[in-house]
Amino acid sequence: MITFAQRSVIALLCRVILGVILIYASIDKIVHPAEFAKAIGNYNVLPFGLENLMGIVLPILELLVGTCLVLGIMLDGSAIIAAGMMAIFIIALSQALLRGIDINCGCFKVTAENAGQQVGIRRIIEDCIFMGMAFMVLSRGERKWELYPKT
Amino acid sequence: MITQLPIGQIIVITITSTVLGLGINAVRPEGIPLLAKELAVAEEIEYTTAEPRLLAITLDQALDLYQKGTIFVDAREPEYYQEGHIKGAWNFPFFLELVFKLDSLQGKDAPLVIYCSGDECGSSEDLAYELQAEGFNNLLVFKGGWTAWNISEHPIEP
Repeated sequence: MITFAQRSVIALLCRVILGVILIYASIDKIVHPAEFAKAIGNYNVLPFGLENLMGIVLPILELLVGTCLVLGIMLDGSAIIAAGMMAIFIIALSQALLRGIDINCGCFKVTAENAGQQVGIRRIIEDCIFMGMAFMVLSRGERKWELYPKT
Repeated sequence: MITQLPIGQIIVITITSTVLGLGINAVRPEGIPLLAKELAVAEEIEYTTAEPRLLAITLDQALDLYQKGTIFVDAREPEYYQEGHIKGAWNFPFFLELVFKLDSLQGKDAPLVIYCSGDECGSSEDLAYELQAEGFNNLLVFKGGWTAWNISEHPIEP
């Protein structure tokens, strides 16, 4: 049985790993907003050209949530947003997979050298693991190693 | 304080991201329009054009250009291309090879039709923008793509 203290350590690991992954994933998207917006557009889930707005806001949200998770700032809110983002990614990837849409994933890199990377079950599994990590953060034991809010 | 509660934290993080994202996008040179615009559909296709153009074309317009001998470029992955494509269409996995071959054969002003799977795919439009950045200025994206062409029983191979 996992003890309260062990759960805190697991949650700390989960939150740092998930945070670093989110920060890493956001950087390429922030550098290449047009490519990322097109990648979102290729999923055919957003109407009215909203992929651009999503392409502008989502990478910054990822960066901010990742930073909060690593530093231990507003952990509950950050973990809920991270889990929500993963849920949306899983739905977007699954529907693309089911509809057989010929698209690039746009999950990590959006530039040409990685453009051949196709949407796959592997990505969905990855996102499920990330979502699980977000839930681990939410169900952490002691509220320590956190900058804000202090309890 | 609002940030003590998860719901408050969600609101603060979301609003901060939106404001930051929109602000950074507004000031940076690589900023993009807030809403994506669809390619304008060509009303009438002249074979040659004095003005640089990147337009969407219909199946009838694509067929008309095909019969005039326009080069068609298949923007899909090679495995899809090998399964079946518009007869005579080009497909190069390496972008620079495509640029070089097109440029040496017909220059950058001759019309070029680009297509992918169908209405829902974006790779034809992506390739068109990449070619535009390389100086090609007579680019026509056939939105119906392989699906519309194949259903209409126009020439295909293999």
